[in-house]
Amino acid sequence: MEMVISAQMTDKSEHNQEVRQILDRLRSRDNGRDTGVRLMIIGSEDDDTAFIRMVESCGATFVVDEHCTGTRYFWNDVEPRDDRLEAIAARYIDRVPCPSKDWVDRTRIPHILELAREWNVGGAIVMQQKFCDPHELDTPAIRKALEEAGIKTLFLEFDVTVPMGQFKVRVEAFLEMLAEEDLFE
Amino acid sequence: MITAGIDMGAKTIKVVIVDDGNMVGKAMTIAGFEATESAERAYTTALGEAGLAEGDVERIASTGAGRRYAPHAKHDVSEVKCAVKGAIDLYPNARTVIDVGAEEGRAIRCTEDGNVMDFALNEKCAAGAGAFTEAMSRALEVKVEELGPMSVKSTNAIPMNAQCAVFAESEVVSLLHAKTPKEDIARAVHDAIASRIVSLARKVGFEPDVVLIGGLARNVGFVDSLQRALGCDVLIPSDPEYIGAYGAALAARAG
Amino acid sequence: MTATPTYETRPLQCWGKAKEIRKQYYVDYASAHERGGLRWAGGAWTFGAIPCGLGDDVYSLTSEPYGASIAANKDFSMRCLEATERAGYARDLCSYMRNYWGSLLLDEYLWGGSFPKPDFIWQDHICCSHAKWYQVVGDHEPDIPQFCIDVAVGPEGAINENKLSYIVGQMHDGIDWMEEITGRTYDDEKLIEAVYQECRSTSLWAEICCLNKAIPAPLEEKTMYSLYVLGTLAKHSKVVADFYEELRDEVQDRVDNHIAAVPNERCRLMSDTQPPWGFLSLFRYLEEYGALSVGSLYTFGLIGMWEDKPDGSWGPRTTPQQQGIDIKDRDQALRILAAWNLSKPEWQHFYSPHLKTALMVRIAKEWHLDGVLLHYNRGCEGLSVGIAENRLGLIEAGYPVMTFEGNMGDEREFDLARTKARIDTFMETLGFTRESTSTGSASAPSRARRCT
Repeated sequence: MEMVISAQMTDKSEHNQEVRQILDRLRSRDNGRDTGVRLMIIGSEDDDTAFIRMVESCGATFVVDEHCTGTRYFWNDVEPRDDRLEAIAARYIDRVPCPSKDWVDRTRIPHILELAREWNVGGAIVMQQKFCDPHELDTPAIRKALEEAGIKTLFLEFDVTVPMGQFKVRVEAFLEMLAEEDLFE
Repeated sequence: MITAGIDMGAKTIKVVIVDDGNMVGKAMTIAGFEATESAERAYTTALGEAGLAEGDVERIASTGAGRRYAPHAKHDVSEVKCAVKGAIDLYPNARTVIDVGAEEGRAIRCTEDGNVMDFALNEKCAAGAGAFTEAMSRALEVKVEELGPMSVKSTNAIPMNAQCAVFAESEVVSLLHAKTPKEDIARAVHDAIASRIVSLARKVGFEPDVVLIGGLARNVGFVDSLQRALGCDVLIPSDPEYIGAYGAALAARAG
Repeated sequence: MTATPTYETRPLQCWGKAKEIRKQYYVDYASAHERGGLRWAGGAWTFGAIPCGLGDDVYSLTSEPYGASIAANKDFSMRCLEATERAGYARDLCSYMRNYWGSLLLDEYLWGGSFPKPDFIWQDHICCSHAKWYQVVGDHEPDIPQFCIDVAVGPEGAINENKLSYIVGQMHDGIDWMEEITGRTYDDEKLIEAVYQECRSTSLWAEICCLNKAIPAPLEEKTMYSLYVLGTLAKHSKVVADFYEELRDEVQDRVDNHIAAVPNERCRLMSDTQPPWGFLSLFRYLEEYGALSVGSLYTFGLIGMWEDKPDGSWGPRTTPQQQGIDIKDRDQALRILAAWNLSKPEWQHFYSPHLKTALMVRIAKEWHLDGVLLHYNRGCEGLSVGIAENRLGLIEAGYPVMTFEGNMGDEREFDLARTKARIDTFMETLGFTRESTSTGSASAPSRARRCT
């Protein structure tokens, strides 16, 4: 999360150097913790690292995300072509768009399901930033698609401040529910 | 000339008797379900304190949320105008009046002639009014009068969801479980109200002198938070909750 | 104290006709299939002239007016809103959408019977929600084909060839798509006719709004809502254009004879954003002070099309036909339609609150206003965006402003009593009082007077 935000504010060539170094270290990194339940976070813009930390302290890890200040910012490669501006423009047109521009069909949903499968996700937290209408308009359809694909969802509404205590209770209940499902599989 | 002002507030009714610009009698009752009767009782009490009879009062005006149900009053004036009239009379250099009652918070800009330039009211929300402190004192299990003194002991500012009094109440529960000192929570409550009130004040563009009236002016914690948020001191009259009624009595004199 | 002069007043003669046109519109849509016709749904801002090329038996249901009509029917609205919330949609979404979806989910048409499903959806993405509105409809009715035109190309002053072509290109694609899904052959003559009528009706509406510059105003805003709505239903139709011409003539007559909408007109105001549709009695309350709203950027600039006149004033846009332009083919018709619509005043504010402030200050000046009422409309983020900036701009320009919070389509977010009390205070600051007895809260005052 922090890396994506820094990417949005830093000169790309500088940032890329840092990212390359981190990539090298990541390949052999042992972060000394048990992954626990593999979760996905889906949402609009979200930089609430306190929330992420809280969830990950409950025996879970966010292995992948699909939100505005997450993978959706950097997903899709630029396919090189002779006209470089055109190549960059093509990436903007072809990438999974912000829900505000994701119509008539929702290209987000197949993409979310694909991410969930590839990253072997056990459950998804759908976080809704209050007053982001386009995302609010997607949320019921996303939840339905995930549930139909067998991925349980927990819906949380975020505001300027969040009731962390209550969120923890809900996250714990959600994780318990996911664990029970595993038991009966 | 002797005039009277009746402020039919949402929670309490205030009556003030004025004799040539001097407050000679005042009384307050809980509005309750029978607001008109409560107002009658307050009126009688105020007259008693002033040592006057009903016939001695020449003109009566009412104000407040229930002003159309005031007994005896021949005409009604808005709370905003009364607040300004009362404040300017006591503080001729008042240019901004902040009035925080049980249910409504107001910020008013006025001219030196006591005319209302602009006003802003809190929007359908208890979090910018006295009702919030009552809810919060319940959550903290203290008497509402204790909230102010408790809050000024705090040395720590913590953010609180200032959007909704109901949400804030459950936030308080979480904070208590996290062993947050009650003083800090009390201060957070007052900071939250103050921030709402100051955004009203900024909307009308506040200018000194700033006068604070209404029941919440007696809450030292709130005053502290307000002054910090405004970045300046506020003037508080000795009977802050009566200034609306006082203003109504002055308006009655003007006719 | 000055005595209040009383103006002559009388009701609008063409009022009944307006109601009839509106009623017929909803009947025509519902019964289209009975006559072998087509029906489509889309926003009021959509390029409604284009489906006309499919035939004379093509009827529309525009979404926002339908949502507003539901809002005026409080019981039905509450059921619709609750149905939408049960289905998982957030409460802070556009309240028109929530009313509309509710009607769909309940399968109840406001005018009786089950909800008549459109054969296709023809939309334009004027705001963050607009295309998604029908995307959600598609979640529940996946078999209805949809086409949506993206129109986010910037304010009128910045339109260039590239931007216009972007839109016209989508329009061409849309027509091909329409032919494919309906199996009908597109008739360019019908498109051209519809474009002429649209330019005519929207220019006429602006002319009617201009007549309200007169003192006393011949119309007031509550009445204007019921007249402007026809443009939101079918601005491209000859019926609407003809009606607006008749209305214009009658309003001109009222101006010539000093016939007022509000006989004790003392205080001229304007509003902004959609009103709280279930509470239009608010406008009647203003009249107790001799105050009226002469209109708003919303009422003037959503259906009306405007331009700068040679004398520097704001006036009705000169139509292609008035300029002697003869539309020859599809492409020309589409280009004129696109350019005409992109000049829509109500569109400009999406790009900058300063553009909106400038438009509003201009109205305040040319319509001789004493103050402004701003509806901080929680039900429409698009039209409320930047409204706090507009307030500052209007105050800076010297106009007193009263704000009130509410929701155009969700009555739970509007407090009528409090808003009336706020009006009382605002009128007091402007120097107007009602004459009322001290305990007579319900007694109607005889006339309003200005305080000395």
